[in-house]
Amino acid sequence: MSFDQPWFLLLLPFAFVPLWLERRHGRVYSWVALAPKDALSDLAGLLLRALSVGILACLTLALAGPRGPEQAIQRIGKGAQMVLVIDRSASMDDPFAGSEASGRAGESKSAAARRLITKFVNQRPDDMVGVVTFSNSAMHAIPLTQSREAIHAAIDAAGGSGLLQTNIGAGLTTGVTMFEKMPDSGSRAIMLLSDGAGRITPKAKQKIADWLARQRVNLYWIVLRQPHGISIFNPNLQVANDGLEPAEIELHRFFQTLKTQYRAYEADNPAALQSAMQDINLREKKPIRYAERIPGRDYTDSLAIAALCMLALLLAAKHLGVKSWQPA
Amino acid sequence: MIPAYAQAFTYQILWRSRSLRSGLHRGAQGGLGMEFRGNVPLTDYPDARRIDLPQTLRDPMDQLHVRVFNQKNPTPVFAVCDLSGSMQFAGRRNKLALAAEIAASIACSADQNSDTFGFVGFDDIVREDWLSPPSRRMHEAFELTSRLMEYRPADAGAEGLLDVNRYLGSARALVFLISDFHMPPERLEEAINTLSRHHVVPIVLWDSEEYRQLPRLGLSAIIDPETGAQRTLFFRRELRERFEQAFAARRTLLEALFLRYEIPPCFIDDEFKAEALTEYFHQFSAL
Repeated sequence: MSFDQPWFLLLLPFAFVPLWLERRHGRVYSWVALAPKDALSDLAGLLLRALSVGILACLTLALAGPRGPEQAIQRIGKGAQMVLVIDRSASMDDPFAGSEASGRAGESKSAAARRLITKFVNQRPDDMVGVVTFSNSAMHAIPLTQSREAIHAAIDAAGGSGLLQTNIGAGLTTGVTMFEKMPDSGSRAIMLLSDGAGRITPKAKQKIADWLARQRVNLYWIVLRQPHGISIFNPNLQVANDGLEPAEIELHRFFQTLKTQYRAYEADNPAALQSAMQDINLREKKPIRYAERIPGRDYTDSLAIAALCMLALLLAAKHLGVKSWQPA
Repeated sequence: MIPAYAQAFTYQILWRSRSLRSGLHRGAQGGLGMEFRGNVPLTDYPDARRIDLPQTLRDPMDQLHVRVFNQKNPTPVFAVCDLSGSMQFAGRRNKLALAAEIAASIACSADQNSDTFGFVGFDDIVREDWLSPPSRRMHEAFELTSRLMEYRPADAGAEGLLDVNRYLGSARALVFLISDFHMPPERLEEAINTLSRHHVVPIVLWDSEEYRQLPRLGLSAIIDPETGAQRTLFFRRELRERFEQAFAARRTLLEALFLRYEIPPCFIDDEFKAEALTEYFHQFSAL
């Protein structure tokens, strides 16, 4: 038993005031000692006092807000903690690379991504989802939450025009920080959705690698390929003339060195994107154990109702009271 | 000016007043009166107007005899009134208003009998402000009784009754003790003993709403003004009957107690009629 407002318990002694405070509304009688003994009357008097004490005590206790002990129930869920890191650079508004092949010619990458992510989120009602969007810098859209409404709103907010740059490093670091204050459920993942890559400084790489390892976060990278863009899975890669690998390849290589699980998907049409998500859906289905805290029973209402009932009784007794001593 | 509520009654006393003044009661003082006391020689009582010729002629010693009579004397009359909290009770009548009415009637009757009237009020102590020494100044008495009409007693007991005798003077007096006598019998007995020098007429003021005409049904709290004690009563037929029984027992107890001291009480409920007291004196103090 605990109390929300224990300070109100200080008022509890006042509930006993009716026991020693005499009511002064009564008939002034000449000599009370002469009045005959009557058990029923004594009982009625005792009851009236008990009622007034009970009403005051109940109301005071109700003010203090008592509740039963909190219970912690172990639950097993299949939910994961997933942070969606969504690219909202300007190129996301372009159609898919393979749009000529698919029927949906008009759908932009970001629209398809939003549509499919929403579907994905709806498929996994037990997940906690956080959303980070990024273009030239990361935007904290919503921390890890189970509220579907908030998640959908955050995903919708990922639309809209962005800038040209793609700062993957900032998006990832912001995504990882979301896990920091969240107890580990056992299944954690970042889904990085981008249509290209940017270069990440060695310092940022080190930070990302460290944090992902420490928070035990799996990484899924879905690349929405640009038309005529290079494929990261292309084995016969043409190294450019300047001797630098393309940014996508470099990032893919870096991700492969991570200590945690990493998978990359390439999608050049919505169907491919959907199958990539399906794959992630299947992978992130480890049963997780978590303790759900059930708040203790709130006794405020029952106390208030008890006080009300006693008040009704007292009113009835008052109604039964002799209004004036008219002779019988 | 005699207030309208004062009703004169007649009273007699069976004992001889020791007063020197002239009044209407039997006295111990020789003088002008109707009560023949005896013959004394003229040399002892040189009043030639009262020479008893037959007795003088019958006397072989040839002494002149004079008839001696007892003078009629007044007696002090006191109204001793209980001003304790229990007299707050107002049922049909306010008890103190009734007491004031009785006190005024006593004053009025005392005046008609050329007696002096004094008033002593007491609660926990004898109240100096409710004290009126015996006198014939009736307006003073009536002023006091009209003050008493309006007085609402404090929440005090009746302990002062034990001290009342100190205010009644040394001569035997007719003392009307007006109270509801709601006090423990031991205390009352003690008080009667302190008043044994005087002729006490206990006037018991009870109100019919105290015991006869109670509420038919319902809850009510009763408060004792003297002790502050409080009780809740659930009125119903059984309780009403028990009230009547309790008061009947109380009445028997009071009567037995007073009669042990040969001072029969006079019970007055709700209304004062002068005839009640006249009747009382006829019954218990007839010559």
